[in-house]
This record gives sequence, C-alpha cells and structure tokens, in this order.
Amino acid sequence: MKKIALYFFLIGSSLWCIYPFIWMFFSSFKTNREIYQPTTLMPASYEWKAYENLFAGESLSFLQFFTNSLLLSTGQAILATMLSVGTAFVLAKFRLKGGTLILGLAILLILIPKQTLAVPMFEWMNWLGWQGSLWSLLLPGAITGLGVVFFLQLFRNFPNEWIELARIEGLSPMKTLLLLLPLVSPGLVTFFILHFVLSWQEHLLPLLLLDDESITLPLAITKLQDSSYRIPLSVTMAAATLSILPMLLAFGIFFGKMKTALREVAHS
Amino acid sequence: MTSKRWAKESISLGLLIFPFLGIWLFFWLVPLVLGIELSFQPSQIQNSGDWGVNFEDESRKTVSLEYVGFENYRRILLDSKFWKAIQNSSVYVGGSILIILPLSFLLSLCLMKIHKISRAFLVFCLIIPSLALPGVLSTLFYLFFHGRTGALNHYLVIPLGMEPINWMMDPNFIMPSMILQSVWRWTGMVTLFFLCGLEAIPKWQSEAADLEGAGNWMKIKKIWIPGIRHLAWFAGIFLVVDGFASFSGAYVLLGGSGGLLDSGLLLVTYIYQVAFPGGSGRFDFPGAAAMSLLVIPFLACLLFSALRARNYNSQR
Repeated sequence: MKKIALYFFLIGSSLWCIYPFIWMFFSSFKTNREIYQPTTLMPASYEWKAYENLFAGESLSFLQFFTNSLLLSTGQAILATMLSVGTAFVLAKFRLKGGTLILGLAILLILIPKQTLAVPMFEWMNWLGWQGSLWSLLLPGAITGLGVVFFLQLFRNFPNEWIELARIEGLSPMKTLLLLLPLVSPGLVTFFILHFVLSWQEHLLPLLLLDDESITLPLAITKLQDSSYRIPLSVTMAAATLSILPMLLAFGIFFGKMKTALREVAHS
Repeated sequence: MTSKRWAKESISLGLLIFPFLGIWLFFWLVPLVLGIELSFQPSQIQNSGDWGVNFEDESRKTVSLEYVGFENYRRILLDSKFWKAIQNSSVYVGGSILIILPLSFLLSLCLMKIHKISRAFLVFCLIIPSLALPGVLSTLFYLFFHGRTGALNHYLVIPLGMEPINWMMDPNFIMPSMILQSVWRWTGMVTLFFLCGLEAIPKWQSEAADLEGAGNWMKIKKIWIPGIRHLAWFAGIFLVVDGFASFSGAYVLLGGSGGLLDSGLLLVTYIYQVAFPGGSGRFDFPGAAAMSLLVIPFLACLLFSALRARNYNSQR
C-alpha cells in the first residue's frame, strides 16, 4: 500500500514534468485549431510543414539564430570552465596574499548577477561600440562565481602533498593543474553543461545588446510567438522542440558523469 | 636559481588567475561604477516635460557633467510601482523556495527507495523542464495549462469540484501561476542535487540506525537532512538570485507588461520597462540605474546573512 502511494507520487510528478513536452512535440504537427484544444494529444495527420518552414527560413532565418545560440553558449561555457578551474585551483592550493579577497570577488559575482547591471552594461557596450556583436555577450558570461565555488570544493579534496611533490619536481602551477585535470573530469563536464544551460536560457542581455539580424534562440521564439497571427503556432512548437534537443542530448550522454561529480561536491 | 624559479611560479600563477580578474574588472566592476555614475545624472523626464524632443537632441550621448545628487533615488522611492515590483518579486522568490525545497526533499527521499534504473529514468524526466527555455515554458503554460479547457482546469480544478479558474486574467491568480511555473521549472534540478547528496551518504549510517531501532522520522532528522544541508543552502541561494533576476518567463508570459493591475510585475521587468520605451514609453536610464542599485544592497544583505547563518550553524 505504501509502495503504491510512493510510485503514484513519483510517476505523477514525472508525468507533470514530461507530458507537456510530449504534447509540445506532437503540437508541431497540429493545426492551430487542434493546438487550442490542450486535452487532445495526437494530431489528426502528420505533416512536416512546420519544420520545413523553419529550415527553409520562411518566417525567420532560424538556422542562423540556432547557430548563434550554439556558438555563444559553447564559447561561454568553455571560457567559464577554464577561468573558474584556474582561479579555483590557485585559491585552493596556493597561499596567495589576496586569496580571500579574490574569493570575495567571486561571491560578489554570485550576489549581484549581471542581469541587475543590464542598463549600465548596455551603456558600456554602446561606448565600446560592441553592440550587436556576440562578443558583447560572450565575455561578460565568461566569469562566474558559482564556477569558482564549485571547483574550489572539488580541489579541496586533493592532498596537499601532491602539490608539494610537483613543486619539488620543478613543475609550474600551470603544468601541475594540467596533470591533475583528468581527475576532475566529471566536474569539468558537469560545470560545462550547467553553464551551457544557463547561457542558453539567457534572455535579457541578448534582448538589449543584439541587433534584429543576429538574435539568439530565446528571442527568436518570442518573435515567432508574437507574430502568431500570420505564422501558424505549429512553427513555434517546432522551434521550441528543436531548442530543447541539444540540452537533452548533452544531459543524456553525460548524466552518469554529472551524478558522480555532484556526489563528490556534496560529500566534501 | 631560487629567485628565477619563484618568478616562473608567480608568472604561472598569474596566468591562471588574471584572465578571471581582468574580465571581472572590465565587465562587472566597470558597469557597476557606470551604473552608480548614471544614477546621479539628471533624467530626461524632469529636464523637460517632453522627453521625445530631448531624445532627438541626443543629450544622453553628450555626457552632461551635471549631477542631481539623490534626486533619482528619491523619485524611485516615491514610486509606488517600484514597491509593488519589490513586493511581487519577494512573494515570487519566497513562494517558489518554500515549495521547491521541501518538495524536492520529499521527491529525493522517495526516489532513494526505488530501484536504481527506474530512479535514473524518473530523475531524467523530472529535470526536463529546467532544460527548456523559460520562454518555452511560458508558451506551454499559456497554451497547455492555462485556459478554460487547459490542463490545470481540466485535470485538477474541475475534478476537485471548483469553478474553472481564469489563471491569467484574474489578478489573484497571476502570481500563483508564475510561482507554479517556477516550481515546475526548478524542482527537478534541485531534486537531482539532493539525490546526489543522499547517495553520497555511506550506507552503514542508515543500517546502523535500523539496528538501533530508529524510526523514519529520526533517520530523516539525524541522517538525511544533515546530508543535504550544504546542497540545500546552495540551492536556496541560487534560487533567490535567479528569482530576483528572473525576467524571461514573466516577459514572455505577460508580453512585457506587468499583467492585470501589475500583479505580475517583477523587478527586472519593471527596470526594463523604465529603461526602454515600448510598454510605458518612458526612456529613463538614470532612474533604472538607481533602481537596480537600490535593490543590490537589499539582496546582498539578505544573502550575506544567509551565508553567516550557515557558517554559524556548521561551526556549532
């Protein structure tokens, strides 16, 4: 009896999470009329018109926006992972004079997120003349306080003797870090994916900083939805389905590794 | 020799740390300082009654070296809409956290009881909403959940014998539906974190508790909650920051407005409304900058005290 209630609760909440997305996928084949009846799941007939529309760029140049998003998020995630690993390694294993201060800066970065600085950021990018280019989003997204704290937890578990040994052998800190990196590979992958997801979802700064021709996916989907009086809703649904695919792939492939890394962080 | 080696080591350390510091200075500190400076400048609205004329003069580009002191702050503090936005954001953040953390804890405890393979599968289903774009979540909410025949009314409200709720048009229900959306989005991710925390607890602890004849409640209190305490703080802080900075979901759901009677007006949405013309047609950068700066100390104090409380607890 208890077991049944347990499964009922778990399966119920999973369904709550996943069913709307299944509905979204099937809705990309539906007519507007069918979409406005949320209780029907299956479309009457399957036609790939919405996807053809997107790939042919009939409503907007979807492929370009998709590539923009992919480039931006990958770049941000790579840079953020590299910078956070370097900083966290130094903070964890070397006694620097300003070490606590740097950690404080990282924590400030968590407390005051860049969204609250959006208006001055806009002015600053205008002044630099970067407005409209992806660089204006790439670099501010490359530093993250969460990353520093995350890797700090991982590196703290490493014995200090290893660092001493490396120093006696005459290895520079940079080389030591490169040698130790394979040991934190689950952590690297995990943080890379988490940061990728967060920057994939970024909406406010792209809205302010990018021109209409070079927007990212969240803006593109909003645009499709806003012009739903002339573009069928199935196109929006198709774009939404495509927008979640890279995340599903990344999580599906690296799910095991992520759990390992999170367990390590939780344990320390 | 040693000094050469020391130089080599410090160059290497510098290479590891300076990229972070450089970008921090350039893309975080500079905007912050610019924001402070901007917040002391006169805004167009009060300079002349008609901001449109002023905007065409590009007076914003010719850096005016006159400052108006705390005038912008005074104006913002007297703005009732600003207080409404703060109140809404606080309700949004508080409501989401109070639902998400206990629900995730319960879910992760339940997940620990079932077989490993089905556990991984169910967790994967649960995190899917956090992978989607917030705008997509809003679209789905609008098309699927909301509406007279929508899923919420059809599967939940009507079977419970209540009148169908008009989720988006009833000012009383805009905020609950936004909180619901946030719960839908983050619960799975937090559950994943908690689950990893629970899995990291050595098995013998719970077996020893069983031998001692400890009940479920005792086990939760003495083993499971301490096991995830760090993660819970981490998730809580993340949710607070993300909640106050959230924009996308509400922006898409309410089309950039604050909803009926501004009952869904969040802080960042209001800053956006004030700074950029469109909805309300006010073009007021200094005001918007002042507004962000008024929020920052509030948020920082809240989180700082949370961190202090955490340190105090863990030292005890």
